[in-house]
Amino acid sequence: MIRLTELELDALVEVFNIGVGQAASAMSEIVNETVAMSVPSISFLPRAAAAKLLATKSTGSGRICGISQRYSGAFQTDAILMFPEEKSRQIVRLMVGESMPLEELSQMEQEAMSEIGNILLNSCVGALANIFERELNGSLPDYHVGYSEEMLSHSGDGASMVLMLHIEFVIERQQISGDVAFIMDMSALEDLKSHVNSYLARAMGGA
Amino acid sequence: MKPSTVLIVDDSRVSRMLTRQHIQVRHADWIVEEAANGEEAIAKAKNLQPDLVLLDVNMPGMGGVEAAAALRTMLPGCHISLLTANVQAATRQRAEALGVGFMEKPITAERIAQLIAPLEA
Repeated sequence: MIRLTELELDALVEVFNIGVGQAASAMSEIVNETVAMSVPSISFLPRAAAAKLLATKSTGSGRICGISQRYSGAFQTDAILMFPEEKSRQIVRLMVGESMPLEELSQMEQEAMSEIGNILLNSCVGALANIFERELNGSLPDYHVGYSEEMLSHSGDGASMVLMLHIEFVIERQQISGDVAFIMDMSALEDLKSHVNSYLARAMGGA
Repeated sequence: MKPSTVLIVDDSRVSRMLTRQHIQVRHADWIVEEAANGEEAIAKAKNLQPDLVLLDVNMPGMGGVEAAAALRTMLPGCHISLLTANVQAATRQRAEALGVGFMEKPITAERIAQLIAPLEA
């Protein structure tokens, strides 16, 4: 089991905070609304328990629309963006504007949500890569609709330990909230820990 | 002024649609063509001889950086820019090394205005 010191944990939360801040700013440009974010929460737990925890934290108990991308390079992580399924049309409407007919909008919903996921996850991951001065290569976005427990279950072994970083963000005026989660296994966490330490050394003028 | 020709290269249909919309609001007479990946972009660019090519980076098949390198050689006088969610320093540096522009997503009217400004000069 890898342990992070208090300082490492603090730096990790701070770095993800910056990343999610970038994602929130991108989201705000897409929907033309103010987007608020929660402080990231970090949990170490088995993958199956992470899936359950995500289900309880994510808004409502209904079906969700999830966009995931797997990143490799400096460290490996699965990044997932989730919205309640019933809000996805409203989000796409905010993105493409009022003039598009409903029929065309429905046809475009999945693609538009994938692109929103792609922009948000990449702006967050891009900020992390820039802070760590490393590169992360992402897969193309994967789109799923289902219950949030299912979003994590398609990747990896349920018993293996993972680190989950979870952030909630809210488009206040539209009463839409979504969740971003990063899932890392222990070997990825070891890589991440070393990047956090190099970052701390640079930030403190040691490198 | 002669209408300009723009080639939008993005695997996301909604991104192509938004980019096209922001261009045509300003210049209804411009010719705007679309491609969904690098291979298609190169094939289309041969006949089209665009004045501006906007390329997403992460696409199935040939990505935007590879396509930009090929197009740079093929169309020496053309304005080429990446238009991507990949905001990493490494991607910006690749764009710079190739002598092509870099613009981050999301697509907004302001960003598209900046990208087409060289054609309006």
